[in-house]
Amino acid sequence: MKTELNRRQLLKLCAAGASVALTSGLSSISVAATRADNTLRLSVNITPGVLNPMLSRAAAEYMMSEMLYSGLTSLGTDMTAQPDLATEWSSNDDVTQWRFTLRQGVKFSNGQELTSKDVVASLRKLLDPETGAPGRRNLGPIKMVEADGDYTVVVTTETPFADLPVALTYPTAKVVPADIIATNFDSLAQVPVGSGPFRLQEFRVDEVAVLVKNPEYFVAGLPYLNQIEIKTFPDAAGSTAALLAGEIDMIHDVQPTDFARIDQASGVSGLRTPSGRFLDVVMDTTVAPFDNILVRQALSYCVDREAMIELVADGYGTPGNDTPINAAYHYYADAPHKSYDPKKAKTLLAEAGYPNGLDLELIASVKPGYRSTMAVVLREMAKAGGFNISVKTMDHSSYLDQVWKKGKFYVGFYNMMPTEGMSFNLLFTSGASWNETKWNNTTFDEYVRLADETTDSEKRKELYANAQSLMQKEVPALIPCFFDILGAKADYVNGYEQHPRGASFAFHKIWVGSNPPTKS
Amino acid sequence: MTVSYVIKRLIYLVFTALLVSLIVFSVTQLLPANAATMILGEYATDEALAILNSKLGLDDPAVVQYFRWLGNVVQGDFGISLRTSQPVGPTILNAFGRSAILAITSLVLVCIIAIPLGVLAASRRGKPTDLAVSLVSYIGVSMPEFVLATLLLVWLASPSIGLFPASGYVPFSEDFWGALHHIALPVLTLTIVLTAHISRMIRSEMADTLEMDFIRAGRLRGLSRRRVLFRHALRNSMLPAITVIALDVGYLIGGVIVVEEVFAFPGIGRQLILAIQNRDLPMIQAGALIMAASYAVANLLADLAYGALDKRIKY
Amino acid sequence: MLFLIKTLRALMRSPQGAVGTVLVFLLLLISVFGPLLAPQDPESFNFGSRFAPPSAEFLFGTDWFGRDLFSRILVGARSTVLLAILATFIGTASGALIGIFSGFVGGWVDELIMRTIDAIMAIPGLLLALMILTVLGSSSLNAVIAIGVAFAPGMARISRSTTLAVRELDYVSAARARGESKLWIIFAEILPNMVAPVIVEATIRVAFAIMTLATLSFLGLGAQPPSPEWGLMIADAREHMFRSPWPILAPGISIALVAIAFNLLGDGLRDVLNPHSQE
Repeated sequence: MKTELNRRQLLKLCAAGASVALTSGLSSISVAATRADNTLRLSVNITPGVLNPMLSRAAAEYMMSEMLYSGLTSLGTDMTAQPDLATEWSSNDDVTQWRFTLRQGVKFSNGQELTSKDVVASLRKLLDPETGAPGRRNLGPIKMVEADGDYTVVVTTETPFADLPVALTYPTAKVVPADIIATNFDSLAQVPVGSGPFRLQEFRVDEVAVLVKNPEYFVAGLPYLNQIEIKTFPDAAGSTAALLAGEIDMIHDVQPTDFARIDQASGVSGLRTPSGRFLDVVMDTTVAPFDNILVRQALSYCVDREAMIELVADGYGTPGNDTPINAAYHYYADAPHKSYDPKKAKTLLAEAGYPNGLDLELIASVKPGYRSTMAVVLREMAKAGGFNISVKTMDHSSYLDQVWKKGKFYVGFYNMMPTEGMSFNLLFTSGASWNETKWNNTTFDEYVRLADETTDSEKRKELYANAQSLMQKEVPALIPCFFDILGAKADYVNGYEQHPRGASFAFHKIWVGSNPPTKS
Repeated sequence: MTVSYVIKRLIYLVFTALLVSLIVFSVTQLLPANAATMILGEYATDEALAILNSKLGLDDPAVVQYFRWLGNVVQGDFGISLRTSQPVGPTILNAFGRSAILAITSLVLVCIIAIPLGVLAASRRGKPTDLAVSLVSYIGVSMPEFVLATLLLVWLASPSIGLFPASGYVPFSEDFWGALHHIALPVLTLTIVLTAHISRMIRSEMADTLEMDFIRAGRLRGLSRRRVLFRHALRNSMLPAITVIALDVGYLIGGVIVVEEVFAFPGIGRQLILAIQNRDLPMIQAGALIMAASYAVANLLADLAYGALDKRIKY
Repeated sequence: MLFLIKTLRALMRSPQGAVGTVLVFLLLLISVFGPLLAPQDPESFNFGSRFAPPSAEFLFGTDWFGRDLFSRILVGARSTVLLAILATFIGTASGALIGIFSGFVGGWVDELIMRTIDAIMAIPGLLLALMILTVLGSSSLNAVIAIGVAFAPGMARISRSTTLAVRELDYVSAARARGESKLWIIFAEILPNMVAPVIVEATIRVAFAIMTLATLSFLGLGAQPPSPEWGLMIADAREHMFRSPWPILAPGISIALVAIAFNLLGDGLRDVLNPHSQE
């Protein structure tokens, strides 16, 4: 994995600034001496609030639960399942039953040994609707979870599901002690008990979380760091200034508008990874005017996708093709992008019965800020195509309560999923957890279902390509651009590989200084 | 001024606090969406929402919720934040402490700057000094805090100048100079706006006082100009000035909310905005209560000071 | 009418009154005719000239979308100034009604109303507006309502004290003794006496309303993008503040200027209408 560079990794390396790789060895020697305490100070822009790993919802919370807990599998930067608590796994022939073999001798932070009964209890708790765990429905069609001895867990699915080991990397799928689940589950909101590479020392919400090395971590020699301080900087300008002043070592999430400035500063470098994270314009395809495919197609010709990236993401993104899949995924079907063609849009709109144009109200939550930026840009671009779009912003709570999954025309924002199937099943199939477009296209459903059930990658490639071209043609949602994951770090921070999914981090592999610490 | 007067005022203060909590609670009941929506976020399902609502007690009738809250507050328990699952009391007190640092530092600076400035302007009425002070204070009064704060940011915290950090907070206990460095811009913003306000008030009060007979009489009796100005006129003008400053505490609190938002300063204002956005009812209640109480207490102190000064001022 | 001309003439005699009157007059002109004067469409993007500094083509420069800031300021004057006046009117009218009613009725009703008003005034106005807007949803018009509500208690206090003072005057007592209807007393005797203090207060409040309206838009609760409301312009420009200061400077200075104009006019009016200070 380290020596072979595929297209995506190469792209990433270039983007992250090849200079980092070349100069970091030289410049960091002097700095390393001053950072002898081996502490990483990291800034996040939204405070981690929820400590219970099964209830976490946001990047900073995923980050902390990944440090404090372990799952069965973890997600590699190439979107494959990697060993975590499970060292190996295999399925039966029709991929309806998976056996996971656990590591032995893993200890929770309270001293208990982690065995299959903890894994079974955790997965069952996660799947229990009463828990209200985010991502419950993203784990796949799981029917049954059982232990087979102390170190084997068997998961049975309703239908064949080839992506189960990847699905189980979902950030909330962490293992906690069975007896805590049984007796005192709510205590995890205050006192974490996990088997991750770090342990919580101090936590002040909105301010800082201090985590220290877990000396009993099950991978020998890891983590390298002695301590991580996660500091909340709600203001982007503040965290940028702090990084440049040497008050922090790393920024998890950099705003596109700040990126160039940071990347040009000396001693620090920007981190950039193309990702499948996207903003979309959701249309409820069951109500007028969006029940008319011509209207949706017309709108899709009103977007200058390259300009959109420039104006909304400051150029740090990739154009979208009205599907949630881009080059960051395995089975991306490279098709020519729709061009900006307001004339064609006008014709289509007239054909749809709106020769005098169409008035629409587009709703955008205020969080994150570029939702409304995109709405404003779309409004301006679509004017020429005969659309008169007014923008309405809304605070996020009201948006979630009143608009999301209910509104007929609004801006959505979604993270990259580990696989194509998970992305489609989350948003666009008839049975999708968040079926906001209500597109309910049976042909599309069939493509996705067949792909889910097979392990044959040629067949999957074809099925996913069909699914993508169908979406492109029917436009259940407008997906004009994808956002790169942007971060920044001081040059003396090493071993960090930015993850395109934006929900896995691998902080246990980071070290501060020029050489990786020798494994002891 | 008697003890019974103070007691009466204190009872009145408690009554005001109660009324504030009732008003704020009623408004929160009208907010669209609730904390459960925000906690579950995009993962909310109808059943998960119902379960969480009953766990948080949000499905009880409003009256029951209010009195449960009130009962706990009387016992000193402000409840658990719905956003962070941390106790509200300590969180809000911490935030309040940090805001108080901003507010008190600004007030002290304002008193040091604004009072002499107002006196100066009044004593040179119509002269260039007066005009200059008036002009500057007109600009100060007409500049919303967020505009001034943003302009200061662009100017003093820009990467090329970088005199001050753009945002954030460092505790004084950790790093004294760092802390000072971080509160500089917010305090500067508040000070400029308030100085403009108060120096204007002092100027007009002083100007009126200087017209009064006893001052003219003093001057005629041959008392020095400075003596008249500071011993007699200023003292007399202090009364309305105190009222003005106390009233401006309400204004200051509003300013603190905005300034904290602009500079991402983790005080009570930011905490409240976050709480409103997240429908964190216990936090909204506690925050609004503390703000209203500080406003009422400032007014009480002003009245007491007024009474104390008034007694001694006899001519 | 005669009263108006007299006031205006008196206003023009004091320097602040004169400057304030002229500035406010100009502003009202811009508010009404701004969209006609704007050289460009305030919303159209100029892709090639983003973050342009002031030039002959773009008098105040351009923003991150390359929109002409001068045109945006001109067009935005309407929503900023006229809405502030409307908010002040709502606050003044409702406050005055409550105050007159409370002062006139007296007794426990008065006590109840005034204690409630005290409590509302103990809640910082901005916080109150924030909560009202979260209930009503963000929009310019709702912001106007929220400001009106936040202003009403202060106005109520002023008009109540005027009412109380007027109520005790001989001719009002006489009118009451004559058995004239309450409504008539209010309209014929009390209201005319309140006009002067209320107008002075209201003018200064307009300046305050402009600032509050901008602040609410800045916090994302007022005007909706891409409207060129000045507070919203600053809020959006913050993200880009270290790239170009113009998108912040232009609306920032505009807000300050407008507020200065109304403050000057208010002070001028106070000198003119307040018999105490007439020399």
